Amino acid sequence: MLRKIYWKEMKDSFRDSRTLLLTVLLPIIMMTGLVFFYEMLMTDSTEGETYRLAISDTASEEQKLIFSPIENIELIETDDVKQKVEEGKAQAAIVFEDNFSENIASQQHTTITVYGDSFSKKSSELMQLVEVALVTMESNIVKERLLAEGIADSMVEPFHLQYEEIAEDEGAAKMLAFLIPMILILAIGIGASPAASDMFAGEKERKTMESLLMTPVNRTTMLVSKGLTITSIGLFIGLLTLIVVTVEIYFFTEQLRAALEAINGIGTVIGISVGIVIIYSVFTASILMITSIIAKTVKEAQSYVTPILLLGMFPAMFMTMIGVNELNMFHFSIPILNMFSIIKELFAGIIDYKHIALFVMTNLIVAIVLFVISRMLFLKDKWVMS
Amino acid sequence: MIEMKEVTKRFQDKKKSVTALNHVSFSISKGETVGLLGENGAGKTTLLRAIATLISPDEGTIEVNGSDTVKQPGEIKKNIGVLFGGETGLYERLTARENLEYFAALYGLSKHETKVRIDELSKMFGMKDFLNRKVNGFSKGMRQKVAISRTIIHNPEIILFDEPTTGLDITSSNVFRQLVHQLKQQGKTIVFSSHIMEEVSMLCDSVAMIHKGELVYNGMLEDLYKEEQSEDLNYIFMSKLVRGNGEYAS
Repeated sequence: MLRKIYWKEMKDSFRDSRTLLLTVLLPIIMMTGLVFFYEMLMTDSTEGETYRLAISDTASEEQKLIFSPIENIELIETDDVKQKVEEGKAQAAIVFEDNFSENIASQQHTTITVYGDSFSKKSSELMQLVEVALVTMESNIVKERLLAEGIADSMVEPFHLQYEEIAEDEGAAKMLAFLIPMILILAIGIGASPAASDMFAGEKERKTMESLLMTPVNRTTMLVSKGLTITSIGLFIGLLTLIVVTVEIYFFTEQLRAALEAINGIGTVIGISVGIVIIYSVFTASILMITSIIAKTVKEAQSYVTPILLLGMFPAMFMTMIGVNELNMFHFSIPILNMFSIIKELFAGIIDYKHIALFVMTNLIVAIVLFVISRMLFLKDKWVMS
Repeated sequence: MIEMKEVTKRFQDKKKSVTALNHVSFSISKGETVGLLGENGAGKTTLLRAIATLISPDEGTIEVNGSDTVKQPGEIKKNIGVLFGGETGLYERLTARENLEYFAALYGLSKHETKVRIDELSKMFGMKDFLNRKVNGFSKGMRQKVAISRTIIHNPEIILFDEPTTGLDITSSNVFRQLVHQLKQQGKTIVFSSHIMEEVSMLCDSVAMIHKGELVYNGMLEDLYKEEQSEDLNYIFMSKLVRGNGEYAS
C-alpha cells in the first residue's frame, strides 16, 4: 500500500508544472547565478582591467609619472576632474595641491585629494591602486629625506610585516564551503516545498483528504508514504544541485575549480556530500510535513515555509566568522549549522567520521521527533479536516 | 443498517464550545434513501462525517451493519462510500482512470477487479470518452460522474453524499439525480444532505431534519405528507423548525 501511495504522489507531483519549475528550473538558474557570482568575487578583477583616472590638465609630468608603474591606469587630462567622475567618464580623480612639487622639495606639508565612488566596485578598485602608488611615493620621499640627513631608513621602519597563507587557494575553498551548503539548503527547501504543501494542505483544500481518509488505509501508512515522496523530491533536487554545481565549477570557472581540485580524496568528499544530501532531505521533509499539516491551504503552507527557509540562512552568516580549527561538538550537533560545519571540514581536507556520525545522528533524531509530532497531528481530526 | 444512539459532538471554537450534534438518535434501514435536511451549520456534515468514521462522537454510539464507528472503523470503511460536495475529491493532474485506479488500490481491489469495475462504472455513467483524460480539463458534470464513480469504486452498500448538487448547474444536478436513481435500483443505502427540497421529494424514502444540532423530525416522507396534510416540503421544513425549537428566525 505504501508503494502505491508513494508512486501516485510522485506521479502527481511531477505532473505539476509549478513543482517542475521550482524543483528543476529555478534551482538550476539560482545555482548558476551563485556559482558565477562567487567566481567573479574570487577573481582578481584588477587584472586585465583598464581604469580611467581624471587628472588636472595643469598637472606636472612628475605628478603624472607617479602612476606610470601601473599599466592599467589611463590618465584623462581635464580642467574639471570632479565633473569627469560624476559624468562616469572616469572612475576616480586626483587633485594635487597648488605648488605640490615645491612644497615637497621644501619639506612643507601638502595635500592630495582623491575623488571616487566607494559604492562602485570599479571606482573602489581604482582608488585602491591610486593609494598603493601614493604610499610607494610617500615611502620613497621619506627614504630620500632620511638619507639626506644621514639616517638609515631602518630607524623609522624597524621591521617588515609579512603575511603568508598556510593553505593555497584558501579563499576559494572557504567560498566553496559557504556556497555549497547554502545552495543545497535553498535548493532542497525550495524544490520540495511545493510538493509538500500540496500533499497535505493541498489535499485539504481540494477536499481529496476526506476521500483519502475514508479508505481503509491507516493514517500512519499515508503519512510515511507522503513523507517518503517529499524526501525523494528533496533528494532528487539535492543530487541534481550537486551535479550541476560540480559541472559548472569544472567547466566554467577557474578559481572555484582550482579549489575543488586542491581537495584531497575528492571521491570520498563527493560520497560524503551525497550522504549529506540524503540526511538533509529527510530532515527538510520532516519540517515541510508539519507546516503542510498545520496549514489549511497551499498558500498558508507556503507562507510558513518562506521564513523557515530564511532562518536556515542564519548559520551561513554565523559560519563565515568561524575558522575550521575552531569548530567543536556544538557546531556538529545543531542541524543546518552542522551541515555547514561538515562541508567546511571537507573543503579543508578534513574527513572526521566522528563529526559525520554526529551530523547524521542529530539530524535523524530531530527528523524522527518531527515525524512523531506530524503523526500526532495527522491523527487528530482538527488538522486533517478542511 | 445504520443505528445512531444519543450522538453528541462538540467542537472547540476559540474559547467557547459549540455543540454540533446534541443527543441525536435515529436509524436507517438497508436499501433506504434518506434526505438529511437542515440549515447551514445545523450539523448535517458533522453527522455524515461521524457515520463515515471521519470524526468520533463525544457521546453516544453509531453502528453501521453492527460495527461501531469508533471501535471498528476499518470494517465500516470497506462498506461505505462518501462524497463531500458534488464534484470534489479528485486529483486534477491524474486522468479519470488513474483517479479510479488509485482509490481502487486503496480499497484493496486487485488489478482485474479494478478493470472490471471501471468498465462497469464507465458504461453505467457514460464516461468512456473522457476516462483517459486528465481531470483538470473536465466540466462539472464530467467531474461529478468521476467523483461518484470514485465514491462507489469498491461497490459499497452504503453511500453518503454531502450537499452533492450545491454549486452545480441544472444539467449536472439532473445527472446526479439519475445516478442516485440507478444506485437506488441496485439496493444501495443512500444518505444525502441537501437544501433542495424538490430533490429530496423526488429521491428520498424518508427524511431527517436537523436544527442547531438536534433532530427535529425523522420519518418516512409519505407519513410526513399525511401528518402535515401537505406535499410542500419547503413549507413543512420551515414549520417543523418553528415547532421543533420555537425560536426559528431566518
